[in-house]
Amino acid sequence: MENKKRFDIGKIISDNVAWFVLLILVIFFGIFSENFFSFRNIMNLLSQNAYLLIAATGITFVMMSSGMDLSVGYVMSTIGIIGAKLLMDAGMPTILVIVIMIALTILIELLNTFLSIKLNLSLLVVTIATMTIFQGATYIISESKTITNLPDSFKYLGQKYLFDSIPVAVIIMIVLFLIMNFVLNKTYFGRYVYALGGNPEAARLAGININKMRYMIAVIEGLFIGIAVVLLIGRLGSAVSTVGVGTEFSVMTGIFLGGVSIRGGEGKLSGVFAGILCIALLTNGMQLAGINIYYQYVVRGLILLAAIGYDVYQLNRRNNMKKKKLEETREAKRA
Amino acid sequence: MSILKVENLTKRYPGVVALDNVNFEIGPGEIRGLIGENGAGKSTIIKSIAGAIPFDEGRLIIDGREYTSIAPTEAIQRGISVIYQEFNLIPSMTVAENIFLGERIGGRFRVDFREMNRRAEEIFSRFGVEIDPGAQVGSLSTAQMQLVEIAKAISKDVKVLFMDEPSASLSVSETEVMFEIVRALKKDGLAIVYVSHRLEELFELCDSVTVMRDGHTIETRKIEALDRPGLIRLMVGRELNETYPERSPASAEVVLELKNVYGNGDVGISLQLHKGEILGLGGLVGCGRTELAKMIYGAVPIDKGEMLLFGQPVHLTSPADAIEKGIGLIPEDRKTEGVFIDFPIDWNVVIQCLRKISGKGVVNISAMDEISKRYISEMNIATPSAHQLVKNLSGGNQQKVVVAKVLATQTKVIIFDEPTRGIDVGAKQEIYRLMNDLTKQGISILMISSDMEELLGMSDRIVVLNEGAVAGELTKAEFSQIAVMELASSH
Ligand SMILES: Nc1ncnc2c1ncn2[C@@H]1O[C@H](COP(=O)(O)OP(=O)(O)OP(=O)(O)O)[C@@H](O)[C@H]1O
Ligand SMILES: [Mg+2]
Repeated sequence: MENKKRFDIGKIISDNVAWFVLLILVIFFGIFSENFFSFRNIMNLLSQNAYLLIAATGITFVMMSSGMDLSVGYVMSTIGIIGAKLLMDAGMPTILVIVIMIALTILIELLNTFLSIKLNLSLLVVTIATMTIFQGATYIISESKTITNLPDSFKYLGQKYLFDSIPVAVIIMIVLFLIMNFVLNKTYFGRYVYALGGNPEAARLAGININKMRYMIAVIEGLFIGIAVVLLIGRLGSAVSTVGVGTEFSVMTGIFLGGVSIRGGEGKLSGVFAGILCIALLTNGMQLAGINIYYQYVVRGLILLAAIGYDVYQLNRRNNMKKKKLEETREAKRA
Repeated sequence: MSILKVENLTKRYPGVVALDNVNFEIGPGEIRGLIGENGAGKSTIIKSIAGAIPFDEGRLIIDGREYTSIAPTEAIQRGISVIYQEFNLIPSMTVAENIFLGERIGGRFRVDFREMNRRAEEIFSRFGVEIDPGAQVGSLSTAQMQLVEIAKAISKDVKVLFMDEPSASLSVSETEVMFEIVRALKKDGLAIVYVSHRLEELFELCDSVTVMRDGHTIETRKIEALDRPGLIRLMVGRELNETYPERSPASAEVVLELKNVYGNGDVGISLQLHKGEILGLGGLVGCGRTELAKMIYGAVPIDKGEMLLFGQPVHLTSPADAIEKGIGLIPEDRKTEGVFIDFPIDWNVVIQCLRKISGKGVVNISAMDEISKRYISEMNIATPSAHQLVKNLSGGNQQKVVVAKVLATQTKVIIFDEPTRGIDVGAKQEIYRLMNDLTKQGISILMISSDMEELLGMSDRIVVLNEGAVAGELTKAEFSQIAVMELASSH
């Protein structure tokens, strides 16, 4: 019994890798970049990446239930372009456009899940196809042009500061994050998400309607990605067909780094929070250091590989440690 | 006074009628054994009643209500609860969360974890079982997982409890614990349907027995009106002599020797296996037998100590190495480790000797045909053709495919890990005969078995493991259930 309660520093670190990586990054940037710790800079950094964290919060639900959605980036681009067109060409009011953008995103994610269920294919496979479809759609709709000069009312959410100091986007991000953290950890629905990722058949036989669950997860994902696009386009003040591209990989890297298992059913949203911030800091840092964009891709790929590799390494290490401990106690008993 | 009635239930799979107009009835406070050969339809009837699979025709009357189709939720609400043949647990979640999966403990949205743990604790203490409700299920032993499955099944408001081979992964003492639980539930007025291939369990536990054959329920009788041979006759539809083959003494030549081997949770194992011998490995579930098998087979490295094959030290770095040197393994978990279940028989039989039968990298189809046909006829594998998918075979015949696969590689030592788990009496006899024939050809067998009768009946010698170490060795003259149990559970 006392063994179990022992203060195990190795375990604490390995359970919270993302937080320790974040700490190291923060110290690093604090030393090498002058104004890093200024309130303004931190708020700026958070507001730039609020969309990423909001998207990640929604996508975490998908990955916990062991689905993987590759279409996120192009769906975001498509929605962004459509929103911009509705604002500029159709002259629709901002509120209505925001509602339409979010509703469309939810619809698209429902469609992805519908196809996955009806065709009995994994979400990964379905979204490889739909990703390509939306890649085409975004270029067709935008005619490869940038849409600029979005109205101020639309830019409010992405650019405005509350009390002249805290970005609205950051507040939205924190509120949404806290709500979903509660949902995932404390509610039946949240626990069912874990169950679905851990063993869908066991969940089904326990009377959980797993198709309904998957649709609900799709709605959450769509909602969060939709909000993310609104903030992203709003902050940029313009939309291009490439605006969301790569988001799925940044988000996935952050989520895996945050300790969500590639096997599904394991992980914490708080880890995801830290994981996404790590990615944000690194991207930011590489840009500041003037690293060539193609090298940035190489680095990101390596980080994704490291994050997944670490997850598997952890699993093996845990198993081996368990065996070793067992051998020790058995040997002691024998002697 | 029936609580569950099944009328004319029919379930078809492509090419198989799994249930053909089945009728079944059970009342409260009754323990009913459900038996039949592999593929008779026992699991199918249970899954149909629980809503795990849809049935084609017929109806269920549960507690007065009639159903022509049923969803898992409805079945649970009506008090149907099942311990399935395969585990249905979520390894990454806690024991308590698994037990109460799908149930609302707490508010309208919010889970009350403390209450959940408390109630899990309550169930365990009622049966004198010690498992931490907060532990992750993935960290438990197989036997503990089975107990969690039981707790999960009875945590609800249960009226009919189905137990599909719950003892397959338990050893004798744990099975006793489970029996106590089942008897207590009977006193509470539950109807219990108990499936097992270990016939002695039925005589110990059940009030009555229903026999299934080829998708039909053949008969239901009071247990007092039956004896073992009679039961078997009903099951297989013919007379079946249940005897262990006469063993001839093994030679003195040592084929395989372990000297103070450490690794994979085992500590300081030493043993010798002689030519043509069946060496039984006894012990409780989780005492390190399968772990030892994996090391001998090169699947997990030996940390310390020595392994000798025909007197020569060997260092295996992979199963491929082991196969090359003539060691074969019939794994414990047939479906995931023993066969490629979605592939045909012939494909499975030659998979380990593809290199030998292939010329310059291209598979020699006629050699594959020849080898698989030979084993199908030699081992009496019941199948319409060599191209049949393994998943469509009964458990016993699947096991024969695994053995054929190992034999096709010219093996000298075979490790049988639970050779007859989940296999019916008829097929058991065939596997035993096969093992006996193999040793006559000079092959040596290391047999891990949790089935006490089988361990005592088949072995020439028994080594008992206890907590990863050798607890003792028994010669044939010293064989007895008590002797094995004492070594297995002494501290
Ligand atoms: N998913 C499936 N697809 C096709 N055939 C199936 C399927 N499940 C079961 N069957 C077939 O239905 C029949 C009944 O199988 P079932 O699993 O009920 O047997 P059982 O009596 O439980 O046998 P065992 O003792 O081996 O567990 C068998 O012939 C089996 O091959
Ligand atoms: Mg079965």
